[in-house]
Order: sequence, then structure tokens, then C-alpha cells
Amino acid sequence: MKYSYINPKKKSVFTQEIQLLLSFFSITIIMLLLTYSFLLYKNYSFKQDKETLTAQKIELEKSFSLMEDKISYIEKQKILSETIYTKNIVLKDSIANLFDLVPLRITLSEAQLLKNGLILYGITPNKDIYNFMLQAPLRSIFHRTYSSFYPAKDGWFRFVSTNYIDNQEEIEEDE
Amino acid sequence: MSSISRQYIYLMIVSMVLFIFVLLFSFLVLIPEGKEYRTKRVELKKITREFRNYSNFHDETEETLQDLRSKNRRIISAFDTIFNPDRFEKENKSYFSELKVSSLSEPTAENDFSVYEVNTTSQISSPKSFYDFLDAINKSAYMIAINFPIDFKRDGEIIKSSFTMKVYCNNKDTNATASESKKK
Repeated sequence: MKYSYINPKKKSVFTQEIQLLLSFFSITIIMLLLTYSFLLYKNYSFKQDKETLTAQKIELEKSFSLMEDKISYIEKQKILSETIYTKNIVLKDSIANLFDLVPLRITLSEAQLLKNGLILYGITPNKDIYNFMLQAPLRSIFHRTYSSFYPAKDGWFRFVSTNYIDNQEEIEEDE
Repeated sequence: MSSISRQYIYLMIVSMVLFIFVLLFSFLVLIPEGKEYRTKRVELKKITREFRNYSNFHDETEETLQDLRSKNRRIISAFDTIFNPDRFEKENKSYFSELKVSSLSEPTAENDFSVYEVNTTSQISSPKSFYDFLDAINKSAYMIAINFPIDFKRDGEIIKSSFTMKVYCNNKDTNATASESKKK
């Protein structure tokens, strides 16, 4: 027996209020999940960037160290080359000075330039010319000067002049 | 009345569950992750700044190296060039009536360089030729130091001279360091 003229509606658990509540929380949860995903992605990206930068920095450090070595080596080359060029120029001037030092009346037959000395072989008309015109300037340059004479056939004298410069250390030791 | 009440309780329970979930999720997951994000961002900024500074410094050093290379090109090339006695004789024979260069001695190490000793015998017409030779040595393709003893001996109208030369080259291991060109 029917008590109503309309058919009964099935009652659902998802009432309008529940649907509203669920949609509200769904939106909230979606937003939270999106934020969380964003944070996860950014943290991963930061980690990757950090690793890349660290690797690049290590490469730069290697390259920098290599460049430092190259710079220091080129500077060494530069210093050595300047020393060599200066030594060559000084040597040239020394030889020029030596030949300028010998008076016209004295003829050299041999000159040996040593690291710390000079040995001259030659011929002089007499000992005085040698003593005044060659030995005197040599004495002013060298610390020790030794001369020996041998008579030549025409009345001139052959001489051997041995001259040494003492090392600064030896001089200091003597003092 | 009883149906409203049940509905209300049901609503309350769902609300509470969802609210607790949101709270727990926020405090246990989202906020720590956010903190980590902030820390990492600051750290990355710091690393980026440091890297940029280091990179600038690296570039400046590279510029210095290029500058040094271009200014000292002749010196670097002279240290790189292996001494060739025949070529040396050919290049310098104009200063001498006769020039003979002995073969290279075994190299000795001097600081970071290899040093070869070469004995030279020559004949010159006047000391001026020797001065010109010494000037030319400083402009030659090799790094050469004229070394003692130097002997000049008169023989009629000519002067026989003999002297030792020290030829400086890069050590094999450092050679690459100095002369390597920038490959980019």
C-alpha cells in the first residue's frame, strides 16, 4: 500500500554540504600538492645547479693552477733571458774595454778571458812601457796581477800577464 | 531531527579528517621542504656569486697570460727552439772568416731549463766582428749565453778565437707548459 504519490528519492551520502566541503578541501589539497611539487622540483634543480657549478669551479681551479704555472714559467724564462742578454752585452763591453786598454806600442799575441781572470800574452818594447801603460790599469781592475817577462830576439820583451779577481766571499774571509 | 544530527556529525568527521590531513601535510612535509628550498636558494646564490668572482679572476689571469705570451713571444720561441749547429753556423758565418761549432753536449739541468754546452772555434779579421756577433746572439732564434773561457790568439793578420756557448732550452716536461697555445 502506497502512502505517497511520488516515488521516493534515494538518499546519498554525498549531500550538497559534503560535496561543497569535499570540493573545498580538494582545491586546498591540490594547491598544497602543487606547492609541494614545485618545492621538490626547485630543490632538485638547486641541487643540480650546485653540482654543475661545483664541477665547473673545479675545472676552473685546474685551469687556473695550470695558468699560474705557465705564468711563473714565462716569468722565469724572461728573467733568465734578461740575465743572458745582459751577460752577453757586458761581455762585449769587457772585451772592447780590454782591447782599448792595450796601448798601441804593446802588441798582444794571445788573450784568455777566464771567469775570474785574464791572461795576456804579448810583446812590449820595454818593461817600463808595460808597467806604466798596461799593468797599472790592470792593477786597478784586478785584485791580483802577476807579470813575467822573457827577452825576445830584437831586444823587446815577451810578457805573460796573469790577472785575477777574487771572489767577494774570499775577500770577506781574508778580512 | 535525528537525520540532521547524523548529517552534521558526518560532516564534522569529514571536515576534521581533511583538516587534520591538511595540517599534518603542511607541518610535516610542506614547511620542512619550504625551509630546505629557502636554505638551498641562499646557498646557490652564494655559490653562484663565488663562482662568478672566481670566473672573473680566472679570466683576468688568462688575460695576463696572453699578454705575457704576446710580449715575450720571441723569448718563449727561443727557449723552444732546439739548437741546430749547422743552422747556427750558416746564420752566423758572416761574422767570421771561419766558424766551427761542436756538437751538443749532454744536457744538464739548470733550474727548470736544459743547458747544452757548445764549443766554438772561429777566425775573425778584427774584434769588431766578434762584437757584432755578440750583438747578433741576443737577437738569434736560440737562447745563447757566451761563456768563459774565451781565447783570442793572433795568427798573422787573423785572430783565432775559441769560446764556449751555453744554449738554454725548456725541459721536456715544462716545454709544453710554456709554449702550448690556447686551444678554444
